[in-house]
Amino acid sequence: MISYGRLLGELATIALVLLAGVYATVVIDLWAGRMVARAPVRAFRALTFPIRQTALFLLQQRATTERPDAPLWALAPALLAAIAAASLLVIPFSSQTSAAGIESGIVYFGALMALVMIAVYLNGWSANSVFPIIGGYRFIAEALSYEMPLALVLIGAALPAQSLSVSAIVISQDSLWNVIRQPLGLPIYLIAGLGVAFWGPLALPDAADLAGGTESELSGVQLLLWRTARIAVLVAVAAMGAAVFLGGWTGPWLPGAVWMTLKTIALIFIMVGAGHLVARVRLERFVLVAWTVLIPLALLDVFAAGAVVLAGSPR
Amino acid sequence: MRVALFWMLAVASIVSGWRVFRTDSMVRAAYWLMASFVAVGIIMVQLDAEFLGLVLILMMAGEMTIMAVFMVMFMMNPAGLNPMMMVHQHRASIVAGVLAFVGLAGVGIFARFPEPTLRASGQVTAQLGHELLGDSMLIFETAGVALLATMIGALAIAGATGRFGSADEGSQEPGEA
Amino acid sequence: MSREVLLVLGAALFGIGVYGALSQQSFVMIMMGLELMVNGAIVAAVTLWSRAAAHSPKGQLLAVVFMTVMAVEAAIGFALVTNVFRIRRADITEKLKALRG
Repeated sequence: MISYGRLLGELATIALVLLAGVYATVVIDLWAGRMVARAPVRAFRALTFPIRQTALFLLQQRATTERPDAPLWALAPALLAAIAAASLLVIPFSSQTSAAGIESGIVYFGALMALVMIAVYLNGWSANSVFPIIGGYRFIAEALSYEMPLALVLIGAALPAQSLSVSAIVISQDSLWNVIRQPLGLPIYLIAGLGVAFWGPLALPDAADLAGGTESELSGVQLLLWRTARIAVLVAVAAMGAAVFLGGWTGPWLPGAVWMTLKTIALIFIMVGAGHLVARVRLERFVLVAWTVLIPLALLDVFAAGAVVLAGSPR
Repeated sequence: MRVALFWMLAVASIVSGWRVFRTDSMVRAAYWLMASFVAVGIIMVQLDAEFLGLVLILMMAGEMTIMAVFMVMFMMNPAGLNPMMMVHQHRASIVAGVLAFVGLAGVGIFARFPEPTLRASGQVTAQLGHELLGDSMLIFETAGVALLATMIGALAIAGATGRFGSADEGSQEPGEA
Repeated sequence: MSREVLLVLGAALFGIGVYGALSQQSFVMIMMGLELMVNGAIVAAVTLWSRAAAHSPKGQLLAVVFMTVMAVEAAIGFALVTNVFRIRRADITEKLKALRG
């Protein structure tokens, strides 16, 4: 086991990376929204927007419901943030950082993405109110649907590396990035990733047609923590996508960490842009598409990747 | 450090397993069970069965949420607003539980198991993969076919419409004519 | 983390599961008891693999079979619970008295 000091240092680094990512995502979201609406964006106001939003949330009055499940309600954003932080533990940001001793980083990531379902359901259930509960149930249907394509596509990306460790997958992309070798991989991953962070077209649990869904009874600090945790999950999903599909820290002139940051921000751009350009889909339609279209496509991706590996290996 | 973590996880899994049957809120019961499984999963990771431990956590996240959904569907008291304890044959089941524990723990402590020859070496996950798709392919395929049969069977049993009409027809309380 | 401690842990989980499966009236709580029993079995299986046969991965296959059993039993159990409710409006075992006496 690693020492306490190093563990604390790693956790502090991850917390800083996540906070920086959340800040950047909020600014990008604001900027993308203004661009799509053809509205002017002033640089200073856009860059300080997260600070003003945070101050607004901190000053908001806390409201609570009748007989909520207080411990589980407080657990929900904490669990979501913990999932985001824990998933960054296995993503290598440069060639020097090694994995935290987990050999199967992909399965670890899949398990964490399954736990997101629990966090959102708890957030919906604990409020003891109608709209959050409906939001929570919708997310269960959505989560069960995106889980399989997500897992299959990550396995497809692990095949050329012949290892489930994320570092090995990054190293295996030295010659060619997975986004080019496996064209079906990144789109399916991004769709599932939007579902994990329930963002944009798949923002079903916190939807406006549910009066805010699981967020509707949150206010003040709790709402700030919930939204921050959700954006942190988005950042973690983008970081994993950058590592597994866009080649991670490999790249010509710049140092590894800079490449990783650029690729993560690129994926955040795409996902946030999808949030502003694509309307929210209906749950029934998404479930149908996920089970009948995305899973066969993901299986096709796995088979194609396997065929390529078998054809290339000297047998 | 590892041993301390193991003891905390072991105690956590037993305590949360116990709390499943002592709590009033049904959603909490499902998630106490989840906590027990997560603790066992981390213990399995510590025992070098890393892939199995993580897959256990992945499976149980979905399964426990479905259990929570079913609890809410079937129990009249899902949120724990009234204290309740719905048990039958309580003493007999306590005796049965204690007997099972004593019996199995006795076997575990006093039986002579083969001593470990080698620790798990090298890539456990890769070895497991080669084994699953090599020598033990039959087990793997049987499990796959069993799961497929389960999916089809569950859909057939619980389907809302069958060959002879809607499944709700003829639904009546036991004892009614 | 000796083998004995781990096997006692498995036995404890199994014992709690037996108590739950025999004492609860609600179908889903019975299933939670069954899940705990299989949990204890998985702990025991992985312990014996790790402490007695770690050089070969075959021991983990027993745990894989147990996890498959857990999934199968949960799925069919829930389907049966749903069906029983549809036909007999019964959500606890006490309501299924047709064959009693």
